Amino acid sequence: MANDAGAGFFPYRYEVYRLANGFTAILIPMEGSGLIAYYSVVRTGSRDEWEPHRSGFAHFFEHMMFRGTKNYPGDVYDRLVTEMGASANAYTTDDYTCYYMIAAKENLERVMELESDRFQNLSYDEAAFKTEAGAVYGEYRKGRVNPWWVLEEELLNTAFDVHTYKHTTIGFEEDIKLMPTLYEYSLSFFRRYYRPENVVLILAGDFRPEEAKPLLERYYGRWEPGYTPPNIKPEPEQKAERYKEVQYNGRTLPILAIGYKGAAFDPADKMVAAAHVLGEMAFGENSECYKKLVVREQKVQFVQADFGFNRDPKLYVIYTMVKNEPDVPYVREEIDRVVAKFRQELVAPEELEKVKSRLTYGFVMDLDTPGNVGGNLAPFVALTGGIEAVDTFLNTVRSLQPEDIRQAAEHFLRNEHRTVILLKGVK
Amino acid sequence: MSRTQTILLIFVALVSATCARQRGGRNMVLLPVKDDPTVSFRIVFRVGSQNDPRGKEGLAALTAALITEGSTQKHSYEEILDLLYPMAASISEQVDKEVTVFMGRVHKDHLDRYYSLLKEVISEPAFREDDFQRIKTDFLNHIQNTLRYADDEELGKEALSSFIFRGTPYEHLEEGTVTGLKSITLDDVRDFYRKHYIRENVLIGLGGGFDQAFANRVKADFASLPSGSLETVPAPKPQPFEGLHVQIIEKDVNATAISFGFPIEVLRGSRDFYALAVATSWLGEHRNSFSHLYQVIREARGLNYGDYAYIEHFPDGGRRQFPPPNVPRRKQIFQIWIRPVPNEARLFAFRAALRELQKLVDNGMTPEQFELTRKFLKGYILHYAPTTSLRLGYALDDHFYGIDRSHLELFRKLLDELTLDEVNAAIRKHLQYRNLKVVFVTRDAAALKEALVSNAPSPITYATPKPAEVLEEDKEIATYPVAVRPENVEIVPVDSVFER
Repeated sequence: MANDAGAGFFPYRYEVYRLANGFTAILIPMEGSGLIAYYSVVRTGSRDEWEPHRSGFAHFFEHMMFRGTKNYPGDVYDRLVTEMGASANAYTTDDYTCYYMIAAKENLERVMELESDRFQNLSYDEAAFKTEAGAVYGEYRKGRVNPWWVLEEELLNTAFDVHTYKHTTIGFEEDIKLMPTLYEYSLSFFRRYYRPENVVLILAGDFRPEEAKPLLERYYGRWEPGYTPPNIKPEPEQKAERYKEVQYNGRTLPILAIGYKGAAFDPADKMVAAAHVLGEMAFGENSECYKKLVVREQKVQFVQADFGFNRDPKLYVIYTMVKNEPDVPYVREEIDRVVAKFRQELVAPEELEKVKSRLTYGFVMDLDTPGNVGGNLAPFVALTGGIEAVDTFLNTVRSLQPEDIRQAAEHFLRNEHRTVILLKGVK
Repeated sequence: MSRTQTILLIFVALVSATCARQRGGRNMVLLPVKDDPTVSFRIVFRVGSQNDPRGKEGLAALTAALITEGSTQKHSYEEILDLLYPMAASISEQVDKEVTVFMGRVHKDHLDRYYSLLKEVISEPAFREDDFQRIKTDFLNHIQNTLRYADDEELGKEALSSFIFRGTPYEHLEEGTVTGLKSITLDDVRDFYRKHYIRENVLIGLGGGFDQAFANRVKADFASLPSGSLETVPAPKPQPFEGLHVQIIEKDVNATAISFGFPIEVLRGSRDFYALAVATSWLGEHRNSFSHLYQVIREARGLNYGDYAYIEHFPDGGRRQFPPPNVPRRKQIFQIWIRPVPNEARLFAFRAALRELQKLVDNGMTPEQFELTRKFLKGYILHYAPTTSLRLGYALDDHFYGIDRSHLELFRKLLDELTLDEVNAAIRKHLQYRNLKVVFVTRDAAALKEALVSNAPSPITYATPKPAEVLEEDKEIATYPVAVRPENVEIVPVDSVFER
């Protein structure tokens, strides 16, 4: 399957190539760059950690993926990546895990050989596994000094009762401490989730699809399917507002987070697109709320909205950092006033057009290098399995009318569906 | 340093496109890229925190922030936000010791409107009292809360820089000191702007899909900035010191951030610099498992998240994979960054890193290490400047360092030319392990001081089994000599760091 370059918002021609075992590759040639960006998107993240005391495992497992195979033990893998001078790393989010390697174009086959090998033949011993658990705990300790980290933990833990979005991607500390004992479990994690049906490759850069396809068959064709979906319980409807104050063991201005239960990402769903635009219009950088609280009254350090995309319904969150603690109630009231206004009144059509323009230009401008194409497409691929969602989503945004924004506000921004966290530092 | 808390993932951008650098005459660097639908701007002023008057530390950064986050004589800041918003464009600033750069990138569809605004923001700032108060509190919050409490790694690195450059114009943080910021008035900002934002001080960088007529227009516009006389600040000369000098920043933490280093005599452009860059890459390539320190401390022992080495300033390393351009300096330091380790392993981790440094200095690189690093860097530096804006940034830095051809091209060329003997000679000439400044961000400072002064062994235990050779090496690490004189240890409460 192929598109026509320039027919939609996505500025490059691409092809989707599917193998019999379910493995999907999205091939995006970008001539002249001299580089290839190889993004392997595993559609498993901390959302998939559904078993008790296994929070943080997707991220931990990401670390283990660098420990090598029988064909290419960790030190050999490292050496080959080093010799290519590749930029190679990985990251884990709530919904997916992404492994990337960016290298000069002549390395395409070597990159594919190495990447396909570790996805099919990963092998590590228990001692290496335990040592890596120490590095993960180090990553946790490094981050825990940051108040945002503490805030995020508390927000998710308070807002969710049963869904796995209850924990952050790094996981609960008590679960991280358990990790060294879970060697056997890690093998089953690999067997269940690292399967061809659950992995999508984004290959962007200086190559021809015709040279890539036989390589894909050769290196991924024998990968056995066998993905076992996680048993994630849906979150029951929230019936009442939740509020919690959390103490941060350091100095910080008070931070307020207000998270409303959101929707699962669906690029064709007007309410999803409208919610995203709503976050921008109500609390974005040129919103009336920002200008009032940040610029004119200077009550807060900043205000911003993260009405993002998730595979299951997660949170649409408004964050603000208040300059003087006694102003916290005022700031909350002001945010409530904005919410009420957007629920009742229609936005000005010209303001809506500005957001559409910003989203479209912003998206296209960010696709300037093979690496940026890989990184910016990864979330769409992870949530939907393909990149058709990009055009669908931007078309949905383009179709929005002021009434859609009002309806999204009315639908999502309800007090009984929200969780409010106030984080305070030591005096 | 970034004052903005970001809670989003930052994706790493990578690619290179063919383009030719052109000189647009004195004060201009042009990097046209045919078919690029966007235009990148980098407008550099040769003014930085080294130009802050004594007692007004933070003035350069505050002035630049007021330019990008304040009103102009024609538009309020709110109106500027409104104008930029639909273009998905921004105007940002970055202030380092020597230079200030204003940056932006815009789609060609909006080029005229964007450029008019950029020019207005830089040449006609209003310096309003309300904007001033807003940004000043933002700066104070950054030092008093964010830096002191939310990011121990960056705190340690900034404190080390300050410790090494004590008594020089490089000493203070670019964002200033708490007392310096508090004493700055709006008149100080206006005076500073008048003195430094002059046409003799500007270097214009344009990249991407612009034409020559546009470049000429920009050149003419900035040539009409007021004229003035340049302020020359002598290059910093850090006080020489002997032995290990330790600063312990005391705060209640469960993990210890460690940074250590010393001033070096090489700068980008010199052959020795590139020889040293090869050695430093092997010892501690930034956030790369290729780093030898990473292999010793993280990979084999699981003590932390990573361990790296540098010969150039690398701000905000926790959030960046590759070094940012436009932080050029006339004096650099060699430094090692040890990411937070459990408090009980702090002295062990420091000893492990110091011991590796000694091994490198005493033994040099092996032929295998040298060949592998050379191969690695030839590919890896392709990732340093994948976008037009970054390449433009590097080209402007070439101007600063007086490098005729591009630094990155020169780097690649010299990777073919350099010999192992040259690299090992550069290591012996420029690196050492006896005279160091060290910063620990940790709790129980007195106990650490006692351990350092008494050269007490610092064995560690592991929760998980380790190979015999690791445990054997641990014995050597735990007793590796650290000779610290008590008068060379200073304990600083975290709330006094960057205070004055």
